[in-house]
Order: sequence, then structure tokens, then C-alpha cells
Amino acid sequence: MFTFLRRVIRFGWHNFWRAGGLNVATVFVLIVTISLITTLFISEGAVKHIIAQIKEKIDISVYVAPETSNEEMEIIKDRLVEMPEVQAVSIVSKEDALEQFRERHKNDPVLLESLDIVGTNPFYASLNIRANDPEQYAAILEVLNSSSLDDIIYKVDYVEKKTVIEKLSGFITNVNTGGLLMALALGVVAVLVAFNTIRVAIYDASKEISIMRLVGAPNRFIRGPFIVQGMIAGAIAALASFFILLLVSYFLAPKIDAMTNGFNVFSWFKARAFGLFFVQLASGIALGVISSLIAIRKYLTA
Amino acid sequence: MIFFENISKMYKPDTVALKNVSFQIGANGNEFVSIVGKSGAGKTTLIRLLLREEEPTSGKIIYGGKNIAEIKNKDLSIFRQKIGCVFQDYRLLPNKTVFENVAYAMEVMGATDYEILRDVPRLLEIVGLEDRAKHFPLGLSGGEKQRTAIARALAVRPEVIIADEPTGNLDPYHTRDIINLLEKIYDLGATVILATHDKAIINSLSRRVITLDNGEIIRDEEKGRFIL
Ligand SMILES: Nc1ncnc2c1ncn2[C@@H]1O[C@H](COP(=O)(O)OP(=O)(O)O)[C@@H](O)[C@H]1O
Ligand SMILES: [Mg+2]
Repeated sequence: MFTFLRRVIRFGWHNFWRAGGLNVATVFVLIVTISLITTLFISEGAVKHIIAQIKEKIDISVYVAPETSNEEMEIIKDRLVEMPEVQAVSIVSKEDALEQFRERHKNDPVLLESLDIVGTNPFYASLNIRANDPEQYAAILEVLNSSSLDDIIYKVDYVEKKTVIEKLSGFITNVNTGGLLMALALGVVAVLVAFNTIRVAIYDASKEISIMRLVGAPNRFIRGPFIVQGMIAGAIAALASFFILLLVSYFLAPKIDAMTNGFNVFSWFKARAFGLFFVQLASGIALGVISSLIAIRKYLTA
Repeated sequence: MIFFENISKMYKPDTVALKNVSFQIGANGNEFVSIVGKSGAGKTTLIRLLLREEEPTSGKIIYGGKNIAEIKNKDLSIFRQKIGCVFQDYRLLPNKTVFENVAYAMEVMGATDYEILRDVPRLLEIVGLEDRAKHFPLGLSGGEKQRTAIARALAVRPEVIIADEPTGNLDPYHTRDIINLLEKIYDLGATVILATHDKAIINSLSRRVITLDNGEIIRDEEKGRFIL
């Protein structure tokens, strides 16, 4: 058994390095396939990042009645923070609100002047609530409305933001399922191309296979080296595409960072290098071996 | 040891390759038999039937007392290891050196490394290729390729060596070489079956000749000559 394995590995090794042409083509197709599969993983990371960014930006403001004291605000805040749906709550006092308004409109003297004319602070204090997930705002509001807080709350801007929030939730779900479907489709295409290339390579070897049989080689001796060849091709392709993608992500990192508002591909890649390489290696070897097995089956009957 | 009993072989659109062929080889020890005939006479078909690469349309082939049609598929490789084959187109594995091509036949039948290192150099010496051991087939002359193929055929210590037009691509000088080699193999105790349409070879051999014409045996003579 040991001798058999040793010989089969040597035959596969020799065939791989000595045959040239078609093996180069096989490795090339596998590199493309594996890179594509990896890129799908990376895009998933990028999309997640973008979605997280957008989620960060959504919140709702609960404006409270003017006579509400700071202590009451703190009590409401504490209650909200206890809810599992709530990620963060911040208090914007009347003064803060005024300050923010002045800051935002500092280039608009007419508006600022009109504030001075009013004389008092016309703003309401508010609580800014950020949910873990945009879909949870409805539930949070439910709690706010049904509780004893009702008379303290002056206004919630959810109604205005509602459509935006709902659209965004829908968009995120669509991106997720759409991305998954596209990844699947691309993956299937890539795998089929890889299969076909290896099939052609083995078809090319069909004359050699008939010679092997003629010399009296049992099937396992014919199949074995092809499996080894598939493994070598897959491993080399995995290694190559790992370094290609590492380089590409290094050079594209600034561009992608700007495009996605802070998604650093290179660090993302580095942080997962081990896992990614494992996925690449596994898919490369699996592709190589499975397609070898399928392709060679037809030459081994009888 | 080899009997062909009323063998006929038809290929699909009513091509008759062999018609009711019967003969016997090796009844009294090993033999050197030539099978001659024009191109298309049925020589290759006869050999393919013996190797069980084809099934006869009718008739039986007995090898070593057994009907070869009854050999199970999984035992076929063992059966073929008893027969060494040499072809006009050499059929060497292009990605293996001369040494590896010869060793391959031993490796697949499970010979030990010791046996391989002992026998392969000896076989290369018999065919005169010691100094080509590390060459690939692509860089060899036709004669050298054929000698490699013969060394490979000998590697499994076959009882029978079948050579189908082994000199078909060779010049007369190398042809003589190969035929001498086949005679040497016969002298070493193997049965040799040589299919050819080369008149000069047959007439110089003066051994048994089976003559095929249009799929029929028209002559089977000891010390035969090439007559068509
Ligand atoms: N695979 C095949 N299919 C159909 N006809 C074949 C096949 N092989 C051989 N033949 C036919 O059988 C006859 C004998 O061929 P063959 O045995 O190759 O002759 P030889 O080897 O003596 O030149 C020829 O007429 C040839 O055309
Ligand atoms: Mg022929």
C-alpha cells in the first residue's frame, strides 16, 4: 500500500511537471475560479461593512415636552437602554439642540437673527435612539407609546423617517439575498469551466491511458496519478491566487477604502488570511480531484 | 497453449475482418510464429482478440487452458501482464524516461524497488539502451523507441511477446536490429508472435508462418516463406 501510494504520487508529480501546456491551462483556470470564489467572500465583507455604516447613521429622535426635567430624561434613557433592541441612547438637551442649530446654520445670518428675535430657546430636548437593526424601530416605538411615558413624549420623528428606514431594511435584505444568488451563480459557472478544462486535459491523455491499460496497469494505478495531478494543480492555483489577491488587495486598499467609506480590504484580508487560504486550498484541491475523477471515469470502464 | 477455435470477427457495417480462423501456437514449447498478410488482412484484429481488446463475433480463444472470454474485468490487467506487446507506433508514455517506461510495467504489477533496480538496467542492456536510460521518448530515434518498447514488454517476464508491425516505421538497418532482438527473446524461452507484411523479414527468418488473406488463413507452414 505504501509502495503504491509512493509510486502514484511520483507518477502524478512527473506527469504534472513534464506535461506542460494543458496543466498550465488547468492551473490558470483554477486560479481564476479560486480567485473568484475568494472575491465573493471579500465582497461580502465589503457589503457588510457598508450596511453597518448605513445602520450607524440611522436613528430616531424622541422629543420630550418642554417641562420635562433632566432627571426624567435620564430615567427614560435608562429604561430604553435596558431594551435588547436598543443599541445606544443619547440625550440632546435644549441647549445642545440650540447649539447644534447655530453650528449648522452659521453661514445663514437671517436665520440666526430670527432666533435672536424669538429671544427664548425654541428647541425641544430629545433622546436619540439607535437600534441594533433598522427593523426594530417599530418595536421600540411600540414600547414608548404604550408605557406611562406617553404624556412626556411630545413628538417622535419616526413617521418622517419611516419610509427611509423601511426602504433601507428592504434594500439590505435584497443585497444579502441578491449577493448570495450571484455568488452561487458565479461559483457554479467557475466550477463548470474548471471541470471542463480538466476534462479536456484528461481527454488529451486518453491515448496514454490506453497505453497504461495495455501494459497491464490496474485502474487504481491509472486513476491515482490523475488525482495527484489534480491535487497539485489545485494547490498551486490556491497558492498563486492567495498571493495575487493579497497583492491586489494591498494596492487597491486605498481606492476601496474611499469607495466603501472605510472598508480596508488589505486588513480584512490579513485578519482572515489563514481561513481564506484554507478555503482556497480546499476548494482548489476539491475542484482538481473531483473533476479528475469525473473526467477519467469514462476511460476506465472495462 | 494458445488456441484459436473457429474465430470470426465482423465489424458493424458488415466488414468481415476474420473468417472462421483456427490455429494453435506453442503446442510443443515456445514458438516463433509470424503472421503475414497484406494490409487489411486481419492481423491486428487477430492480436486485439487475443489481448481481449475486442470480442470475437463467434468462436473461442483458449489461453493456458482457459477461455479468455471468461476472464473477469478485474482480472484482465493480470491476464495482460502475461503478454508483452510491441506496436508499430511504440506506445511509450511521453512523460516518462526510457528507464521509467520500462520500470512502469513492473511498478504497476507490484514489483519491489529492489527488483526494478535489478531488472531494468539488465533489460536496457539486452536491448542496448543503457546509455539512453534518462532520455525521454521524444528525443529517441524510431529504433531506440522500439527497443524501449521491447524492453518494457520483457519487463514483466511474459510468456508471450506479441509484435504488431514492430518495424513498420523503421529503416532496414534498424529493422534487422529489432528482428534479431525478437529472436534473442525467443531463444530466452518466450513465445514470439510477429505480425508483419515485410517480405524481407519473413524470408530471412525461416520459421513458422501463418498467412492471412481477406480474414482467412490461406497457409500455415513450418519454415514458411512470404508468398501472396
Ligand atoms: N475498429 C474497426 N471498425 C471497423 N472495421 C475495422 C476496425 N478495425 C479493423 N477493421 C477492418 O477489419 C479489416 C482487418 O483490419 P486489420 O486487422 O487492422 O488488418 P491488418 O492489421 O492486417 O492490416 C480491415 O478491413 C479493416 O478495415
Ligand atoms: Mg495492422
